[in-house]
Amino acid sequence: MLKPFQLHEPTTVEEAISVLGKFGDDASVYAGGTELLLAMKEGLLSYDHLVNIKAIPGLDVVDYDESTGVLTVGATATHRALEYSPLVGEKFSLISDVEHRVANVRVRNVGTLGGNLCFAEPHSDPGVFLLLYDAEVELVGSGGARKQSVEDFILGPYETTREPDELLTTIEVPRLPEGSRHAYIKFGYHERPSLGLGLVARVDNGTLADIRIAVGSVGPKPVRVRNAEERLRGASLADLFGNTQSSALLDEAGRMMAEAAEPVTDLHGSAEYKEHLLRVFLEEALEEATRG
Amino acid sequence: MAIVGTSTRRPDYLDKVTGKGAYVGDLEIPGMAHAKVLSSPLPHARILRIDASKARALPGVFGVLTAHELGDMDPYYGSDIKDRPIIAIDKVRYEGEPVAAVAAVDLETAEAALDLIDVEYEELPVIATMNDALTDGAATVHQSNLCHESHYEWGNTEEGFAEADRIFEDTFTFPMVYHYSLEPHTVIARYDELGITVWDSAQHPFLVRNELARLFGLSLNRVQVVVPYVGGGFGSKSYIKIEPLAVALSREAKRPVKLAYSVEQSAKTVRRHAASITLKTGVRNDGSFVARDCQIRLDTGAYADNGNRVTDRCADQVPGPYLWPHLTVTSKGLYTNTGAAGSFRAIGGPQAAWASESQVDMIADALGIDPLELRLKNLGAPGDVIRQGKNPLDADIATGLKEAAKGVGWAGRGAKPVTQEKETKRGIGLACSVLNAGASPTSTALVRLHADGSATAMVSTVEVGQGSKGVMAQIAAEELCIPLEKVGVVASDTAIVPYDRSTGASRSTTLVGLAVQLGAKEIKQQLLDLASKHFEAPEDKLAFADSSVVFGQESITYAQLIRQMFGGPAGELMGRGYVTPQTEGPLKGLPVFWEMAVVGAEVEVNEKTGAIRVLRLVSVSDIGKAINPKQAEGQDEGAAMQGIGHTLFEELIYEDGQLLNPNLVDYRVPSFEEVPDGFETILIENEDGPGPFGAKGIGEGPIAAVAPAIANAVFQATGVRIKELPLTPERVWRALQAGTSGGHKVDALTEG
Repeated sequence: MLKPFQLHEPTTVEEAISVLGKFGDDASVYAGGTELLLAMKEGLLSYDHLVNIKAIPGLDVVDYDESTGVLTVGATATHRALEYSPLVGEKFSLISDVEHRVANVRVRNVGTLGGNLCFAEPHSDPGVFLLLYDAEVELVGSGGARKQSVEDFILGPYETTREPDELLTTIEVPRLPEGSRHAYIKFGYHERPSLGLGLVARVDNGTLADIRIAVGSVGPKPVRVRNAEERLRGASLADLFGNTQSSALLDEAGRMMAEAAEPVTDLHGSAEYKEHLLRVFLEEALEEATRG
Repeated sequence: MAIVGTSTRRPDYLDKVTGKGAYVGDLEIPGMAHAKVLSSPLPHARILRIDASKARALPGVFGVLTAHELGDMDPYYGSDIKDRPIIAIDKVRYEGEPVAAVAAVDLETAEAALDLIDVEYEELPVIATMNDALTDGAATVHQSNLCHESHYEWGNTEEGFAEADRIFEDTFTFPMVYHYSLEPHTVIARYDELGITVWDSAQHPFLVRNELARLFGLSLNRVQVVVPYVGGGFGSKSYIKIEPLAVALSREAKRPVKLAYSVEQSAKTVRRHAASITLKTGVRNDGSFVARDCQIRLDTGAYADNGNRVTDRCADQVPGPYLWPHLTVTSKGLYTNTGAAGSFRAIGGPQAAWASESQVDMIADALGIDPLELRLKNLGAPGDVIRQGKNPLDADIATGLKEAAKGVGWAGRGAKPVTQEKETKRGIGLACSVLNAGASPTSTALVRLHADGSATAMVSTVEVGQGSKGVMAQIAAEELCIPLEKVGVVASDTAIVPYDRSTGASRSTTLVGLAVQLGAKEIKQQLLDLASKHFEAPEDKLAFADSSVVFGQESITYAQLIRQMFGGPAGELMGRGYVTPQTEGPLKGLPVFWEMAVVGAEVEVNEKTGAIRVLRLVSVSDIGKAINPKQAEGQDEGAAMQGIGHTLFEELIYEDGQLLNPNLVDYRVPSFEEVPDGFETILIENEDGPGPFGAKGIGEGPIAAVAPAIANAVFQATGVRIKELPLTPERVWRALQAGTSGGHKVDALTEG
């Protein structure tokens, strides 16, 4: 049962920070509540104060700066807004592709990208695409503003570097290099994903000129797998698929992914199975992202 | 027939799609308190001490119930086996068992009061599994860990095995699953000097009434059970569940009390029995079935609930629709420290059919016989006795099976469909069984023909989502020859409507529908008497048409006849319908009818991930006569989808007595994503059922046959046989890993 709490509705970021600072651990930011309220109803979390930041004007911005090539997503922009933004669809198609598959319509309508990041539920999609874009978050606290990569921001299950009096205000997403193609594979039969594998590739003259790989949902947090990227970069497409040598290369990259993602055994499946799936989906994603 | 056989619009649709329809949770009774239950955090423990004094002293608390308050009564209840205390007495037997209950001015106060109750436990060894329950010298959940044992046999199984050419022995397991009706258990209880009234989300209002009357020492007329719309049941609201707790708390708080369970509490209150079934089957090389020995173990959890009947019924399903010269079946229901198991759509059927129909395919494979041919060779025909002492088979399973095979594209044993994708393989599977349906033929109805020619049918069938209100109206309107919109249905209030045993076992259209028809016929006889006097004509010269009795060129409306009788625009006629084991017709003996369970499935298996997609699913049901064809298809499809759930991913996971996935995030039920692209229901209508207009019940059949049909299809696709459910991707992948090295495997194959 949802226990009573006081709802604060600040209209500026400063006001929100001040309320958060005042109540400390007794307060939580409310940025959609799709996960927060579920956990509170179950009694897993309990707060006397919720700070609704959805009333802060402009915090739901989705804006692109042509000169820098950076997309700015405000903390309260919903999954649905990103899914349907023509701008995002045109210039950040990986985002709209993944957002279209996040949870269900009801969650996408009220859930926000910022809220999703700060809640840091391990079984979740958005962390993966943000890692592929090398996205950064901006946090504002009483001591001022700071920026941090999403990769460093998420520490583990339900844990980020955000201080209780800090508010995540924006997420900055630089464009992918020209000519990049992507694939995102989502697998599982539970309400939340069991595995998310995202891959960005740029093919030049029949070789894998650039590649980025990120994995989520199988372990404690989403991760970029840079050593696997390194290993695959420069490989020729002809050599990548369909022979024993390429299979050994993909096996090796798959092992690196498993090592980085640290799959855990849980209700979604055993660590062994998840490791197997990483290898299977690496190949599938590579094929999809490099297909002529 | 203009009304029966037509897919008329159900009368409750607008209420439901607009959210106007009232369920128990929507009701407010004057002076009503709100209840919360303190649940045991431990699966098995002695209660050393409960101190609720601080909770009682909290302002806004009207009453706290613990075992101490039940000293003046025998507080044990159950559908047959009275092993469940209204609230935990001396010990707790599952995690989540009610230990104390609070009635307060609001839920927040009740919740706060729970925090003030101090309980001291002494942990006991946990009987987590059926193996634990059977271990020598293990702790016991009750006096013993054996809840119920059922045994029957015919022929001489040992001699049968000696006659057999081949003997197959396999063990199959079936998971614990939860019904997941959208509405959890909810009840409002009022106990006062006049008696008991409960507003209840229940499938069997009269059985709730009877058990409450017994528990609280009242005559039947002083207990009223009112059931508004019910948000799904599937057996989870059969017999009696949390009603005694709510009534006892109302007695303690001296005011009405609303007790609304969460999904988690409901999932721990009742579930389907997990099963382990070992089948030893002897056959001849030509495929004739000779003998079968079956050992069943069912996990009934902490309390019997309906576990004794499920134990019996699961045993009853072992022969399937086949003729067995020799058969021995032993079925044991075992107590464990998990939430209780009771009725669930087609009780005992899915477990037994899962084992039996999987093994039939394994036998076919080993003998090199087409699985369809093997089934047809051994099936009982209509009129055959398939269970000794029971009514002969009244369903044509062979026709149903051939229809399903045709519908799903069955082309023979080796002829599996091909797929374009390199990592996927396709296969088709069949399964058939037959369910002992109808429970007992004990139903009544009252039909009232009002002074304006409109009518009301009064029945106790609960509108649990199946569409009974519309169907009862169709039956009454058809029989009375009046327009459908002139018939209203009043249902499920034990103080108002006459007795019916239960809403379940596919019985309502057949038995309550028959009672409605008999009631309407009794009214028609009265109309004939009146019209005969009016026209001064013999009854056999009279006929019914359009709300009138017709004599040659003349006619008189029902309304005119009633007004003549009462001398003014008033009065009404009443017709009674009694359905008993003595009712004329085919209701003698049991079952009331045999419900066909026939499914064909085509699947696609991804060999890299183990994921299964059900591409096509065809079910065949013998309905006799579909009163409302669209609703009948809906019932059949619902049963198939629920079957897809326990086949592909549903499973309550208990670890040392703690339920790990009591929510929809971690427990997956089928959604529209799982609806097969090709999803077909074939209704056989021979107008030969014991119900009104030749109807017989459906709505459970497919749930028993879906799992083996899909597993048989997976086998055809991949050559791998899986004997555990659910067929999660990881389980299938592991089986593929193990199977690819060894090829086709048939366990424990011995030459007879």
